[in-house]
Amino acid sequence: MKDKEQNRHIYWNPYFGGFLLGLLIIFTFYITGRGLGASGAMKSSVVTIVDDVSHEHAKQSAYYSKFVDGDKNPMNNWIVFETLGVLIGAFISGGLAGRIGWRVQHSPKITRRRRLIFAFSGGILFGLGAQIARGCTSGAALSGMAVLSTGGFITMLAIFGSGYLFAYFFRKNWI
Amino acid sequence: MVNRKLVKFLSLRYKILAAVLIVLAGGLVLLPKYEKHEGISPEELLSKTISPERYISTDDIAHKIINQDPSFILIDVRDENSFKEYTLPNAINIPLKKILDNDATMYINQNQFDVVFFSNDNFYSDQAWILCNRLGYKNLHVLKGGINKWFNTIINPQKPTEDMPKDALDLYSTRKASSMYFGVVYPEQVEIKTPEPVKKAVPKKIITVKKKKKAPEGGC
Amino acid sequence: MGPLIPNGFIPFEWSSIIAIVIGIFFGFILEASGFSSSRKLAGVFYGYDFAVLKVFFTAAITSLIGLFYMDYLGYVDMSSLYVHPTYLWGAIIGGAIMGIGFVTGGFCPGTSLSAVAIGKIDAIVNVLGIMVGIFIFSELYTLFEPLYNGYFQGNVTLVDSLGINKYWFVFILTVVAIIMFAASDMIRKRVKKVFY
Repeated sequence: MKDKEQNRHIYWNPYFGGFLLGLLIIFTFYITGRGLGASGAMKSSVVTIVDDVSHEHAKQSAYYSKFVDGDKNPMNNWIVFETLGVLIGAFISGGLAGRIGWRVQHSPKITRRRRLIFAFSGGILFGLGAQIARGCTSGAALSGMAVLSTGGFITMLAIFGSGYLFAYFFRKNWI
Repeated sequence: MVNRKLVKFLSLRYKILAAVLIVLAGGLVLLPKYEKHEGISPEELLSKTISPERYISTDDIAHKIINQDPSFILIDVRDENSFKEYTLPNAINIPLKKILDNDATMYINQNQFDVVFFSNDNFYSDQAWILCNRLGYKNLHVLKGGINKWFNTIINPQKPTEDMPKDALDLYSTRKASSMYFGVVYPEQVEIKTPEPVKKAVPKKIITVKKKKKAPEGGC
Repeated sequence: MGPLIPNGFIPFEWSSIIAIVIGIFFGFILEASGFSSSRKLAGVFYGYDFAVLKVFFTAAITSLIGLFYMDYLGYVDMSSLYVHPTYLWGAIIGGAIMGIGFVTGGFCPGTSLSAVAIGKIDAIVNVLGIMVGIFIFSELYTLFEPLYNGYFQGNVTLVDSLGINKYWFVFILTVVAIIMFAASDMIRKRVKKVFY
């Protein structure tokens, strides 16, 4: 048991993880012709929820109507299945390394509540940004870079650039 | 003790990996450049060229037109003036110069119909055939002999002499029958005062389904 | 030859199953590389842990080099792969907003999903936040539309927009990435260690 406790934070060598991730991207492009993604599934969920709550509203909205027209089910989507796989895969990996458990990870200097509030607001910003840029770090930046997409490179530079710019203001949350 | 050489080697592992990456990336730069060719391979083109299916005889086409066979499209690759002057029934005019245009691809690049090219003889239609085959289109044929042969065999068939075999006579009578279908009036018919009402074949409606290119869609 | 599904080598019906399998590997790699920990992710901005940078750029370079070799050998046709479209200002502003979201929330969508799978509550909250963000965007779509649909440059690659040789670019990117890896290790030695 103690051994497991110690091993909790032993992760793969980042280069090894990156190498495997690169192979996976090649494989994904080879099979499906497109890259990985994650935020698309959340968009599908939002569309489905809105559509369930008020179908009329979804029909009228200029943005939702792109995804709900006709008999197309927004949840029957490549990216949604991929996301289900992400959940399964992460659960397997976490289970093997003994990292599963309900907890809130935060710096000892801040309270749990503060961490949750910041996690939530960060999520809102990320969701907004991912829609404006048509993709998140995995969909736009990583998969875009693999095919030398200009948009992918710009998105990647913008994410890391503004991350470093604003890191100073949020330093208390992390260090 | 642990193998010292191994330890020493492992301490260098990141440098080695970095070197491997640089060599691999440098390899890309140094690779000899070559042009990828589009379309089908030369071997495939050759086998299609020598295949007997490439040509369709005028008799076959006449037979198909009379039976209103819906499975083919006739494509006239001559220029517009010749097309207006005379053409085969239901033919579509796509001059050879425009054969790579978008409107033309709609007719040629599909899986529904057999495509039959024709011109005055084989010459331009063969060119069209080669061009479209190089693009990888399917079901392409050429009308053997083109319109000239069409005239000589179907519209104005040669009357066989008595000493010819029976096959030739049969062929003549079929051709004569088909030429009557296409509106040729023969002297022996003239006595019957009512001219055969020229059967106008209902123009075939060609609705080609544009080939769906299954392009991959975006991720996020 | 490839890509297999768009070229019809694998029936389209299989794509959902393949999607799940690819997702499993994706999730496994993310989690095993430590991307389910927001403090590890945020380390890249404060210099105490450069795992994000290393994984991200190793993956980008590996996939670039691999895809180019496969393209060269004829296994995959690069021109038929999906290229992320370029909406210039959408990418810049969207990326900038995501960057702020990254430092505040400590997750990006893929990593937060892998953290949800192992029960991190902050990740669950983060995912909810992302969904709210998408909801806000959709409701205010008319406001964002000029930005979202404007400045469209097509599905261009760097070769089109910068006019450089793609192989040289990959080579230079590789060298830059390796220099970055070395530099990140040096920075990490100087920065105060953070235990998490």
